[in-house]
Amino acid sequence: MAEFQITTSTNNNIEELLLHGYLDAHTAPQLEAAIGVLVQQGKYNILVNFRELDYISSAGLGVFMVFIEEVRNNNGDIKLCEMKPKVYTVFDLLGFPMLFEILPTSQEATDKFTTSNG
Amino acid sequence: MAKPAATYQELHIQSDLSELADVRTFVVSQAEEFGFSEDVVFQISLAVDEACSNLIRHAYKLDASNRITVRIATKESQFIVSIFDAAISFDPTQLKSPDMNDYFSKFRHGGLGVHIIKRVMDDIKYIPANTKHPLNELRLTKRLVA
Repeated sequence: MAEFQITTSTNNNIEELLLHGYLDAHTAPQLEAAIGVLVQQGKYNILVNFRELDYISSAGLGVFMVFIEEVRNNNGDIKLCEMKPKVYTVFDLLGFPMLFEILPTSQEATDKFTTSNG
Repeated sequence: MAKPAATYQELHIQSDLSELADVRTFVVSQAEEFGFSEDVVFQISLAVDEACSNLIRHAYKLDASNRITVRIATKESQFIVSIFDAAISFDPTQLKSPDMNDYFSKFRHGGLGVHIIKRVMDDIKYIPANTKHPLNELRLTKRLVA
C-alpha cells in the first residue's frame, strides 16, 4: 500500500476527499494537487475525511491554508471530519480549530454545508 | 559502581523528503522502547519530522545528494535526538513563534514546523558547526516523567 492515498467522491454538490496513510512534506503535494483541481473546476464545497489518516505534519496543515481564502471568497468551505485523536492534536496544537470546522462525522459535516448553502 | 555510559543509535538518510517515513519509524521504535506513552511517541516523531523536513527543503533546497544523521541518545530520564547537517548554519531557535490570530487572519501558510517543535519538546538547542565539529546539530530533548 502506498504511504498516502486519496479517494474522492461527490455527493449533493459536496466533494469529499478521503485521506489514507501518512500526510507529511513528501505526500502533501498530492493533496495540494487534488484540492487544486477541485478549486480550478469551481468546486468550492470541499469535505476532507481523515478517517483513514494516521499521521499529519505541518506540511499537511499548510495545504488547507493554501486554499481556504479562495474557497471562502467563492462562498464555499473546506470542512474537516473524522480525525483520529492524535491527528486532531496536531491541528489543536496550532489553533487550527479557530479557522476550520472540524466535525466528528461525515454526515454532520455534510449537514453543515447544506445548512450554510441555504 | 560506575554510572552507565550514555548509549546512542543512529540513522543516516539522504536529504530527500521520501526518507521522512523512515525517520519517523526509527524515532517511534526508539521512543517506544524508552517507555514514552503513545501520545508522546507521536509528538517526538512529529518534532523530528518537522526538523528534518525544514533541513531538506530549506537548508539543502531539496538537493538529495546531501546527508542528514539522526542520533538518539538516552541519559537517565532524557531522550535526546540530535539532527546533524552540513548545510549553512541556521539557528531555528531564534525564530519568533507566530501569532496564530494574525497567521489565520492573513491566511498565511508554512513556517509552523519550528513552532511545533518548541511546543512538543522540553528543550531545543542549536549548536552551529565549528572548527572542532564540522556539522550543525539541532538537539531536541524530551524527558520521561515517571
